[in-house]
Amino acid sequence: MKINILGGATTKFGELWSISPRTLANEAMDGALKQSKIKSSQIDALFVGNMLAGILGNQANTASLFAEELGVQIPAFRLEGACASGGLALHNAINSLKAGAYKTVMVLGVEKMTDHNSDDVTTALMSAGSDEERTSGATFPGLYALMARAYMQEYGITEEILASVSVKNHFHGSFNPKAQFKSIITVGDVMRSGKIADPLKLLDCSPISDGAAAVVITSDSVLARRLPKPILITASEVATDTLSLYDRKSFTTLSAVVTASQKAYENAGIKPQDIDAAEIHDCFSIAEAMAVEDLGFSKKGQGAKDISENKYTLGKGKIISNPSGGLKACGHPVGATGIKQIIEITEQLRGVAGKRQVKNAKIGLTHNVGGTGTVAAVHILEA
Amino acid sequence: MKITPVKLWRRQKKVSSQIGKKGKIIAWTIIRIPSKEFTSQAPYPVIIASLESKEKMILQLVDWKMEDLKIGREIMTVLRRLFTEDGGDGIIHYVIKGKPL
Amino acid sequence: MAGIIGYGLYIPKYRIEVSEIAKMWQKDPLEIASGLKVKQKSVPGIDEDTVTISIEAGKRAISMAGIKAERIQAVYVGSESHPYAVNPSSTTVAEYLGVGNDYFAADLEFACKAGTAGMQVLAGLLSAKEIDYGLTIGADAAQGKPHDALEYTAASAGAAYILGKKKAEIIADILCMSSFSSDTPDFWRREGQKYPSHFGRFTGEPAYFTHVAAEGNKLLVQSKLNPRDFDYCVFHMPNGKFPRIVAKKLGFTPEQLAPSLTVDSIGNPYSASSLVGLGAVLDIAKPNQKIFFVSYGSGAGSDGFVFETTKNLLSKRGESISFAKETENTMNISYSQYLKQTHSI
Repeated sequence: MKINILGGATTKFGELWSISPRTLANEAMDGALKQSKIKSSQIDALFVGNMLAGILGNQANTASLFAEELGVQIPAFRLEGACASGGLALHNAINSLKAGAYKTVMVLGVEKMTDHNSDDVTTALMSAGSDEERTSGATFPGLYALMARAYMQEYGITEEILASVSVKNHFHGSFNPKAQFKSIITVGDVMRSGKIADPLKLLDCSPISDGAAAVVITSDSVLARRLPKPILITASEVATDTLSLYDRKSFTTLSAVVTASQKAYENAGIKPQDIDAAEIHDCFSIAEAMAVEDLGFSKKGQGAKDISENKYTLGKGKIISNPSGGLKACGHPVGATGIKQIIEITEQLRGVAGKRQVKNAKIGLTHNVGGTGTVAAVHILEA
Repeated sequence: MKITPVKLWRRQKKVSSQIGKKGKIIAWTIIRIPSKEFTSQAPYPVIIASLESKEKMILQLVDWKMEDLKIGREIMTVLRRLFTEDGGDGIIHYVIKGKPL
Repeated sequence: MAGIIGYGLYIPKYRIEVSEIAKMWQKDPLEIASGLKVKQKSVPGIDEDTVTISIEAGKRAISMAGIKAERIQAVYVGSESHPYAVNPSSTTVAEYLGVGNDYFAADLEFACKAGTAGMQVLAGLLSAKEIDYGLTIGADAAQGKPHDALEYTAASAGAAYILGKKKAEIIADILCMSSFSSDTPDFWRREGQKYPSHFGRFTGEPAYFTHVAAEGNKLLVQSKLNPRDFDYCVFHMPNGKFPRIVAKKLGFTPEQLAPSLTVDSIGNPYSASSLVGLGAVLDIAKPNQKIFFVSYGSGAGSDGFVFETTKNLLSKRGESISFAKETENTMNISYSQYLKQTHSI
């Protein structure tokens, strides 16, 4: 059975003060239906990825809320895995197609974060960690900073080299009309930005954002044939690891990513070097440095250096990472990111990514992580 | 992040057995933008320590100086208050923190 | 009678100098320092309180005593700054020390002598054979009202003492004890008030000196001893001046008093004051030496003890953390940092 992506759409990502969660979802799902050239009545089920609606907005029962926005009384499910909620929603949607339960489903990722002040958001995001991590006074930047410290110590990497991750992603983001930040920044800008949790500074960290992204996938080959270039999801793998960072064997690798990606490559019958474009979960600069290693693109300890040497930059590198601008520049509405990544790769493989286009992109990968690597969802897409 | 009296009580035996353990810093950071309840304490270090018993813990570091923030620095676990804002009518929450030796 | 089988001292690491406080109120630091005979005081960390301080001191006492915590059958915590108005510090401390469930417990308050009152209760329970081992702690995270004279001395510390009956375990026997009590309103704190109040010079002669001297003389008569029969004397230390004056009044020499004057380096940690002073003496005492001890608590009263060290003192004291070692590495803080740590801002 082939899993086809019919179409998808994202809203702008950013501080969207006047736009409600329902409106965000509407915009994304409407756009996805239009692109897929289908009507809402053709959707068999809705899978929603969202992390904070309950914690911040006091709203549970979110899947039904968004199904109502779609205007249909279909089965609707919410998946939550912190920042990997979108990837988990997609994985489960794919499983439902494989099981034959449904034929065509909508996957929506949505998050509204700017309705609350940043204190509350920082606290809410720590629900992705453990009790021990919360009572230690750690924040998410703090937990990734601990990883950064270990990584810098182990591989002799400087803060300047790490800063190149955000520089690259802002460069890519400048070509993305939907991105929260389209500004170009330099290593100096990153180094001068205020410290959040040593050694991570403001510009090492992805922002607080609102946004939604929706994609329609189908196992119906007739529906799929109506579109010019079918894009297939050839692998969807999820893996988990310990909840607490301190329980891990290593602080410089996310074994959930290694496990999920290795399985994904195997299922898709490809090798890491076959990937042309990858959307990577750069919640913090250190995350992308470790990810390109865990995904098998760079040697262990070389990730940050390779990024700083433009090996992953649009127009210069071989495997382009985060052509959308990543979480840093495009923005990170938590539940929406996993789906936005899918849509970005779909556009890349369809050749419609405009100024962000990775030349001859045929195979793409999305890497969506929850918590400090507690859960990882890896998808492989092929044209 | 509320701690209820029941949760605190249920954890006491475990917490009590963790007081006074020696260990080394294996990773550290300084939190400058904290979660809500920690605002009055920032900036403060958070460390991951490897204890003599081989277990690892994530701990706020107290009674510290910049020179203490080194991988390999020896620490001891102590019991301290979690929330430091005075007043209020809730239960007082004591947690394990780390102190440079 | 009963005796001390182990003790432990804990002093928070932070210090604020008297001159730093004087600067704030544009007072002459030299005048203040010489008037009170205090150089600096200890300040608790922002996350320390009477319970956390008691646990630190208690752990050290248990270590020196060399007994399992579960064998402690009475726990008393005396303080002026119990974290709760209603909810016992003693059971929280006991729980975290691993005492179990089979123990007498209560929180005590009697201004600066609550910890020594606990010692008397333990001595009574031990004599009556109700318990084999008991723990008393005097601890405070004291508060002094800004701009008040007490701001220069109100400090923080904890002193824990474990008492027992077995001769082979006792490091200092209690030869005799008594108290002198009255209703004297020299220093008090009303419910809901953050800082204590006091009546200035009334806290001197009619309060501190009357009670300490009265109990001191009572103790000499009771023990049938003279000041020169003692090697050391320890008194409650509200400042550096009062204990020096009362020691002289009772007939003791500066040499007998000197080792106990912990006030000179840490100020007045209220319920821990006299017990920390006693600990500093036990840190350096030799076997078979007599210690004259009189505490003072406003309101008012004095608890007196005559201790005699035993040959077990040296071996039991072993590797324990002495007052000198405990106060080695300190961190000086500014007045604004002091306000933050004492929850004034």
